[in-house]
Amino acid sequence: MSPPTPPSPPTPPPPLTPAAEADKRESFEREALVHLDSLYRVALRLTGNAAEADDLVQETMLKAYRAWEQFQRGTNAKGWLLTILRHAFINEYRRRTRHPETVDLDAIEPFSVFEELQDDDPQGTFFDRIVDDEVLRAIDELPEQFRETAVLSDVEGLSYEEIARVLDVPVGTVKSRLFRARRLLQQKLYDYAVGMGYIKGTAR
Amino acid sequence: MNCRQCTEHLYEYLDRELTPELEHEIREHLAECPPCGEHFDFEQLFLDFLRARCRAQGAPPELKRRILRELFDE
Repeated sequence: MSPPTPPSPPTPPPPLTPAAEADKRESFEREALVHLDSLYRVALRLTGNAAEADDLVQETMLKAYRAWEQFQRGTNAKGWLLTILRHAFINEYRRRTRHPETVDLDAIEPFSVFEELQDDDPQGTFFDRIVDDEVLRAIDELPEQFRETAVLSDVEGLSYEEIARVLDVPVGTVKSRLFRARRLLQQKLYDYAVGMGYIKGTAR
Repeated sequence: MNCRQCTEHLYEYLDRELTPELEHEIREHLAECPPCGEHFDFEQLFLDFLRARCRAQGAPPELKRRILRELFDE
């Protein structure tokens, strides 16, 4: 499936007057650059390394600035920027960094951690003992389709509709990926907590 | 609403993605059904935990400087 091309000017735009240039810069800083942290977090989870995340975010910002006239002011700049970032990642980075999955994602039916914890830790207090790096590692181990969906929802707080637009998939697909992504994450973190002795765990 | 129907909407409910009517039905079920209530509480705790653990990281200051240089100092 090929994603639609990101917004780009059809012809080179005419040079802006100094006042228009200043206005463009001011609105870009106010509406786009404020999302730098979000773009960086998503880039880091997509590429899996800091140097590539830097380059990907920089490229995204350059593309966005060039196409800024196409962006409809006052609409969702974060979603627009994330769409550009993801296209750049797919077109230029994925080949070099990670590979698209060949596993059957629909076959993944992770178990419910909540049920496993009934006799041991029904309040889920073991979560408190799991540090940031361990959670990020668990996210990084997810299949790419699940990883990007979980990051957009659980880290960046996008709505299903916004995620569907960024990923160019139906809302129903977002729901099912999110369900599986969260269950897989719970499972990984549960296994980790059992391995560390935070909870007893049951043999599976 | 029964437990199975309620659980089917677990994440949509926690993500505030349901219609007000359905959300209301689920809230009523959760108030009357402790097992479902505990399950939903657990999942909410998990989502809060994920967000808290993942949002600490921001863009390095050097990256922001690099981008500003690239965009505006040409």
